[in-house]
Amino acid sequence: MDLLSSLEASGFATWMRESNSIWGYPMILTMHTVGLALLVGANTVLDLRLLGFAERLPLDELSRAFRIMWIGFWINAISGAALFVADATTRGTSRLFIGKLFLVLFGVVVILVIRRQVFGATPGRPRIGMTAKVLAATSLAVWVAAITAGRLMAYVYAS
Amino acid sequence: MAHALDLAAVWIKQSGIGAPMTGLPWLWPMCETLHFVGLALLIGVAGLFDLRMLGFFRRVSLASVMDMRPWAALGLGINLITGVMFFVGAPDQYIHNVAWWAKVTFILIAGLNILAFELSPRTKALVERVGPGDNTPLRLKFAGGISLFSWFAVLYFGRMLPFIGNAF
Repeated sequence: MDLLSSLEASGFATWMRESNSIWGYPMILTMHTVGLALLVGANTVLDLRLLGFAERLPLDELSRAFRIMWIGFWINAISGAALFVADATTRGTSRLFIGKLFLVLFGVVVILVIRRQVFGATPGRPRIGMTAKVLAATSLAVWVAAITAGRLMAYVYAS
Repeated sequence: MAHALDLAAVWIKQSGIGAPMTGLPWLWPMCETLHFVGLALLIGVAGLFDLRMLGFFRRVSLASVMDMRPWAALGLGINLITGVMFFVGAPDQYIHNVAWWAKVTFILIAGLNILAFELSPRTKALVERVGPGDNTPLRLKFAGGISLFSWFAVLYFGRMLPFIGNAF
C-alpha cells in the first residue's frame, strides 16, 4: 500500500485534489466523459450495425470507427490515471474500482475480437454471423456495466 | 424567467413529486447511470451522421447513416426524462446555476436545429441526394456542425454543474 500512499502524496495528486482551477479536476473529469462518449459511442454504432440495424450502411466503412474508439480509449486511460492518483489509496483498494477496470479491459478485448472476427479474416469482405451478433450484444452489455460501476464510484466514496 | 422558475421550484417542493429522487438512496445514482448511457448513445450515433453531414466519412451515403437516427432519439429521450427527474428532485441547485443555464441553452439550440431539420421537406430531399462519395451542401454542413458542437457543449456544461455551480 506504500505505492498508493506515495502516489496520493505526490505533487500532481495534491494539485488534482486541492487546486481550485477549473483546468484541474473538473477539466480532467470532463475529458473522462468525452472519452467515454467517443469510445462507447463509436463502439455502440458498430454494435448496432452488427445486430442488424441500418443495414444500408456498408459495414466495411465502419472499420473507420475503430480510430475514434482508440482516441476515446487513450483519453480515458490518461484522464483515468490522473483521477486515480488523486485518490489512489481509496481507489486502489476499492473492489468497485477494480471491478470497473476489469469491465473496461473486457470491453476492450471484445472490441479487438470483433475487429478480428468481422474485419480481419478476409480484408474487404466482413461477415456477420451469429458470433458477431453475440459479440456485439456482449459489448453493449459490458459498457453499460462499466458505466454503472464508474457512476457508482461517485456515490460509494461520497467524499 | 428565473423568477418563474423560482415559483416552479416552490411548487415542485410543496407538491412532493420530486421527493423520491432524494428520498430513495438508489434512484438518483440509477438515473445518473442511465443519463451517461444515454449520453454515449446520443453522442455516438448523432456524431456519426453529424460528421457525414459535415462532409467526413464520405464513402457512405448520408441516407444510410441517417438510418441510425432512432438510436440517437432514444439516447436523447432517456436523457430528457432523467434530466427532468434531476430537476424535479432538486430544483434549487439548478435554477441559480450558470452552468445549468448554459446547458439548457445548448439543449434548446440543438433542439431547434433538429426541428428545423425534421420539419423541412427540403432538407429531407437533400439527404436523399447525398450519395456515396458526394460532398454535402452548406445547409447540411451547418446542421451537422451546430448539432455536434451543441451536444459536446451540453456534455461540458453538464459535467461542470457541480464545479461552476454547486449541484451534486
